[in-house]
Formats: sequence, C-alpha cells, structure tokens
Amino acid sequence: MTRFIILRLLFAFVALLGIVVIVFFLVRASGDPMSLLANPNMSEEQYEHIKERLGLDKSWGEQLVIYMGDLAQGDLGESLLREKPVIDIIKQALPNTLKLIIPSFAIAMLMSLILGVLAATYRDSFWDTGVKFLAVLGQALPGFWVAIMAVLIFSVNLRWLPVAGMATPAHYVLPVATMVFFILPGMMRLVRSSMLDVLDSEYIKMARIKGLPERLVIWKHALRNALITPLTVAGMIFAMLVTGAVITEQVFNWPGLGRMIVTSTFERDFPVVQAITIITAVFVLGINLLVDISYAYIDPQIRYQKM
Amino acid sequence: MLSIMPKVEEKLEKRYTGGLSRRARITRNLTLIIPATILALMVIVAIFANLSWLGLPNIGLAPHDPTTGVITDRFLPPSFMEGGKSEYLLGTDRLGRDVLSRVIYGTRVSLSISLLVIFITAFIGTVLGIISGYLGGRIDGFLMRATDMALSFPGILLALLLAVSLGPSYWTVVLALSILGWAPYTRMVRGEALKLSEADFVAQARIIGTPPIRIMVRHIFPNVINSLVIMMTLSVGMIILMESTLSYLGVGITAPTASWGNMVADGRSYLDTAWWIAAFPGIAIGLVVMSGNFLGDWLRDRLDPRLRQV
Repeated sequence: MTRFIILRLLFAFVALLGIVVIVFFLVRASGDPMSLLANPNMSEEQYEHIKERLGLDKSWGEQLVIYMGDLAQGDLGESLLREKPVIDIIKQALPNTLKLIIPSFAIAMLMSLILGVLAATYRDSFWDTGVKFLAVLGQALPGFWVAIMAVLIFSVNLRWLPVAGMATPAHYVLPVATMVFFILPGMMRLVRSSMLDVLDSEYIKMARIKGLPERLVIWKHALRNALITPLTVAGMIFAMLVTGAVITEQVFNWPGLGRMIVTSTFERDFPVVQAITIITAVFVLGINLLVDISYAYIDPQIRYQKM
Repeated sequence: MLSIMPKVEEKLEKRYTGGLSRRARITRNLTLIIPATILALMVIVAIFANLSWLGLPNIGLAPHDPTTGVITDRFLPPSFMEGGKSEYLLGTDRLGRDVLSRVIYGTRVSLSISLLVIFITAFIGTVLGIISGYLGGRIDGFLMRATDMALSFPGILLALLLAVSLGPSYWTVVLALSILGWAPYTRMVRGEALKLSEADFVAQARIIGTPPIRIMVRHIFPNVINSLVIMMTLSVGMIILMESTLSYLGVGITAPTASWGNMVADGRSYLDTAWWIAAFPGIAIGLVVMSGNFLGDWLRDRLDPRLRQV
C-alpha cells in the first residue's frame, strides 16, 4: 500500500510539473509575452521596467527555473492591473465562491439522492419519468441561458428577486438555483443508475427474503452501497462545480473567483488566470489522488497494478 | 459482435420485435424521427444560409444580412407581437439586425465547430484508447491516469487560459475543446479494446504471428466503430453547449460574427425591453442539443445496448 501511495504521489507530482510547464509555455505561445502583459498606454520606461521586473529579459530556461522556484515558495505572481499579489485577490474572492458552491452542492446532493433513489425504486413510474425529463432538459439547455430566463421571469417581470449582487438572502435564490440546475441532472442520473445496479444484486434480494421492511432495504442497505459509485466521479463533480460557478457568477455579477477569472481574461491579466488555473490543477490532482487511494483501500486488486 | 455476446443479441431481438407494445414502438420511432429531422433541418439551414460559397451571396435562407443592421429598426419585437414588422420574424437586436438571420448563421458556427472537434477528439481518443487497452501495462496505467486528469479538469478554465494567450477566436475554441475532449473517447475505447483483446479471434490472430499494429487496426478498430459512432453522436450536444458557453463568456466567437452564445450575452443587457434577443438563440441551442442527445440514445439502444447507463 505504501508503495502504491508513493507511486501515485510521484505521478501527481510529475503531472503537476507537466501542467506548470505547459502553462508557462502557453503564455509565450503567442510570441512576445510583453504584448500580453503591457498595455498600449504604457511609456517606454514602464515597459522596460515591467520587462525587467518579470525577468523577461532573461533566457527561457532561466525564466522557467525562476518561475518554478517562485511557485514552490507559494508565490503566484502579481496582478498586472490591480498591482496586488494574485494570492491576495484570490483570498478576497474565494469566500464568495464558497458561499455559492457549498449551499448549491448540498441542495443538489440532497435532491439527487432523494430523486435518484425514488426514480430507481419506482422504475418507469411517474417519479422516474419526471427525473428523466428533468435530466433531459438539464443536459440540453445551456446554464447561462436558463439563468438569464430566470432573471427575466422572476426579477424583470415578477419583480420577486434581485437581478444581481449578494447583499441579502434573496440575492442567493437565483444563483443557487442556477447552480443546482446545472449540477443536478448529472448527479441524479448517477445515483439512479448506481441504485439500479445495487438493487439488482444478490445481497439486496437476500435482505428482502430475510423480510426486512422495504424502507430499510432501500435507504440503508442499497443506498449505502450505491453511494460508492459517485465517489469515483468526484473529479468530474468538481469540474462541474467549477464550470457552474464560472457561468453563474458571470450571469449574476457574483464577486467570486469565477467572475474574477473571466474579468481577468478580458483585461488580459495573465498572472491571475494562470494562478487560478494552476490552483485548480492542484485540486484536480489532489482529488484524483484521494479517490485512487480510497479505492485502493476498498479494492485490494488495484494496489498491485503497475501504476 | 455476435460471437462475443450472443445472449445480449438474442435478448435484443426479443426486445425489439416481439417484446415491445405498439405504443412503445411508435414512441421509439418518434425518438428517432423528430431529432433526426431537427438536426437535418439545422444542417440544411447552415449550408444554405446563403450561397456565397457558390458565388451567389444574395441568395439564401437567411432573410437578412446577419452583421449589418438597419438603425431605424432597432429593438423591434417578433412579427407575431404588437409593434413587430413582418420582415423580422423573430425581431431585431440593438443594432437593428434580424434575430432570425443571426440564429441561422449561428447554426454554421455551432455545427462546424462541433463536427471539427468531434472528429479530432474521436481520432485521438480512439488511437490512445486502442493502444491503452490492447498493449496494457505501463502505457495503459499512464494513459488512464492522464485520462482521469483530463476528465476532471474544468475545460472552461483551459479555454479561458487559451483565450488570454492566443486571443478569442474560432480556432481557440476548437483547440480548447479538443485538448481535453479526447479523454471520454479514450476511456470508452480502452474498455472495448480490453475486452476484445481477450476475444478468440484476436488470440488466433496473435497465434499466427500478426503484428500488434495490424491487430489493432484490422481486428480491434472495426469492432469499436459502433460504440464510437454512438459516442460521437452523443457529443454533438455537449460540444455545442460548451462552444455557446465560451461565446457567451466572450472568449469564443466574438462580435460581429453571430453565434448563439454571444447573442444571448448581447441580449442580457436588454432583458427588460427586448427579451427576444436572448431567448431565441437559447431555444435553438436547446433544440439542437436535445436532438443530438436523443439521436445518440436511440443509436445506443439500437447498436450497443451494453453501453446503456440506464
């Protein structure tokens, strides 16, 4: 097991290095990075100053070494427009994003468990059809459009809810609903299909033969085992949350990381975009590592594989 | 296929002929006919939006030019509403451009990007998947780890990163969607190839000394085509959704070129006065994506029920 964990850690580290190198060269892919970093109104002096400060007068090899050294020390660089360390900007925006993601994730999780289990238990019933219909809609309609239509109906026409911002609890309703709409269909389908698999297994039949009440069979025996499957796709759920946050924050002017990265893209504030991407990559690697390790605990066969 | 899964085929036979009620069969056919018709119409509309590729820029299905507007006709509601003009079926936007014509031209962007991306990703994914599944060992381990990463990396961030370094454009979108898009194909094809590599006909080919590359190309590949076609159909919708999202955020297809995503973004500021600018392109996206998904499901039921995730 130790060997397995060390191998996986090593792989995660190599992958991270790979990603950092790719990101490093992406900045330079368009030719002169100064064309990205400088704005046209800068004076010659400012231009040279930035170039020197960012170390762009050195060779690529030297730059890569310096850049990696900074990263290793947790220095993510400095925003070009806000003239603040990127890390400070992230610290400011992250809590807002969490305020959006955590309630959305909790609600979506709860709803997908209830609806997914109901759909699987009462297959081809009213519930099942409803869940399928919701899943079809949720997977076909673009999240940003649904959000805008919700604004049109509830904020513009009915005037029940505010259009944007995050001042009062009412401000949370539409953004959270949008996030839930975005992540629910996938999770619901997942719970439903893994529930169907489990319900088909021998030990569930055994539990039923034993005469356990159906409620106990479904919500205790079956659900507990069905929950393992969503664990394997924790990475994908993370990706979904990030994507959902970027879109939702943009639509509702939510001052979180998602909007930060989109705004920075427009302002061509490269260090910010780059830092958020690298941090996300670290999370992705970490989640995959955890999933792999917890899976190795569950299934010993995995431990002895080559990689 | 028959030799591997005779039982499934048998069950299918029953399910699809005798097993279904009349009503169920009609429903199943409708889930083919409706989405196929919508997609076919979209393709026709995209090709014949205008005939400039035949040297006839003035003839086409789009009633107006998508990028030049009539300033006096700004914010006109759809023709079926009060105050609408009959020549603008779906109304006009802030520059007096015809919304219908822009939706029609948006079809070109969405469909061409999704076709391009699907062929690129399916090709890369198939090659990697067959190698991974058939050769196994260290290559397989490495490729599968990489696939996991690619599947869980939010593509939207990568697209933003590319947009900031290369600038937003048609090709940036294609690149951004292709860099991570191969992963689902690799995973699926790898699973198929792994199963096939233990099949009798592959073992026989190995015994008579067929080189691995030939086995992969001539024996494994033909047997993953079914699953591949299903997956390609299912990705049409997903890619159109992602393209429109990128364009909505302003890092995909940018103005003045019409794309469904940037039209919705355009309409966002005029929700209280001109809802039609944002509403119609969204409906177009929903229709195409839903058609693609239904068609993919239908194909999966028909060709390869093992892939069904219920």
